[in-house]
Amino acid sequence: MAHKASKVVIITEKLILDKVARVIETCGGKGYTVVAAGGKGGRGVHSTGRAAVVDEFSNVKIEVITASRETANRIADEVAATFFNDYSGITYFEEVEILRPEKF
Amino acid sequence: MELAIDFFTRFVGQFQSPALAFLIGGMALAAFGSRLQIPDAIYKFCVFMLLMRIGIEGGMEIREAELAEMALPALLAVIIGCMIVVVGRFSLALLPNVRTEDAIATAGLFGAVSASTLAASMVMLDEQNIAFEAWVPALYPFMDIPALIVAIVLANLYLERRKNGGRRSTSIGSIIADSLRGSALSALILGLLLGLLTHPEVVYEGFYDPLFRGLLSVLMLTMGMEAWNRLNELRSVAHWYAVYGAVAPLVNGLLAFGLGYIAHLLTGFSPGGVILLAVIAGSSSDISGPPTLRAAIPSANPSAYIGASTSIGTPIAIAVGIPLYIALGQAVFGF
Repeated sequence: MAHKASKVVIITEKLILDKVARVIETCGGKGYTVVAAGGKGGRGVHSTGRAAVVDEFSNVKIEVITASRETANRIADEVAATFFNDYSGITYFEEVEILRPEKF
Repeated sequence: MELAIDFFTRFVGQFQSPALAFLIGGMALAAFGSRLQIPDAIYKFCVFMLLMRIGIEGGMEIREAELAEMALPALLAVIIGCMIVVVGRFSLALLPNVRTEDAIATAGLFGAVSASTLAASMVMLDEQNIAFEAWVPALYPFMDIPALIVAIVLANLYLERRKNGGRRSTSIGSIIADSLRGSALSALILGLLLGLLTHPEVVYEGFYDPLFRGLLSVLMLTMGMEAWNRLNELRSVAHWYAVYGAVAPLVNGLLAFGLGYIAHLLTGFSPGGVILLAVIAGSSSDISGPPTLRAAIPSANPSAYIGASTSIGTPIAIAVGIPLYIALGQAVFGF
């Protein structure tokens, strides 16, 4: 029996992963998934933590599934406001269907 | 005239040393577009091994050394680190097209110390049989941490005055803690403590020391490739960063050489120590400095400071600076 839920996807620099995770949790996210990511955006390829030549995956894609769209919006707004002036990143939303709604 | 020719010959002869050769080789490879890659894990392992070995050796020899001798050079290291940042703040930052916080961050990196430059210089001094006190590498944190602190504080003062979101007031304590937690300093300090307090001779002689030169060569290769690859980033910022990156290592190093010479006269600081002090003053951090600055001054543009430090500062500090100070030391101290 699938339930509807919202998902916030944040693609940003691996360097700030811990800080973003903290923001997600304070805004009401119950959990998140992190996937290694690479790529290039308006600011070009950014990797400051280590030698550019040795790490293609210097970004992360963080997915947060929330029961309500409001929580998703809140998380996305807070992350964008706190980090995206100084660090590269994009955010987008998806509507998903989930099982075990008590987990979200 | 003969002195100049002698100086020049010695200077050029340094380029055959493995440390420099691999650095330039790496740059050449990257320029050629080679797809050779050194995996990240190996690079980190090299940094770890180098600093452990330097630390353990330093710690073992500090056991027998007179720590009072270290006081004046340590103080000089702190002063030099801070001075480099302040000078950068009032020179680079005032040039046209240069954003002040970028300039401060760049000066901060050049005030901080590069582990790879330090390791390469120690090897080259060994090759020339120039002796130095074993605690000289321990001057690393004395220059690195104050420089980063001064840079972060100056940047925050500037940003706050501009009322453009001066960062939540970062306490000095947390900056120090963060720097000490960086991979390079952690390894160095751990090595120092282990060498000082335990008996690591067996692992030192069996593992860390024999692998040192080999791993250094791999690290130099990686830094050379990295330097070339980051040149593109430097193209997107003002040309002054490239100029600063080329000039600052030499100016800072020569200033430090002068101050070190005074220490030599006052407390008998060894010639090798003076040379090393010049080397670390001229070096610019590219492993642990950038993440610290990125976290503490996020509005500064990384392309500026990392580009200046990794693409130009470190190669110049290693390829031009080290031979220069060695040749200068040989001329001044006469060996």
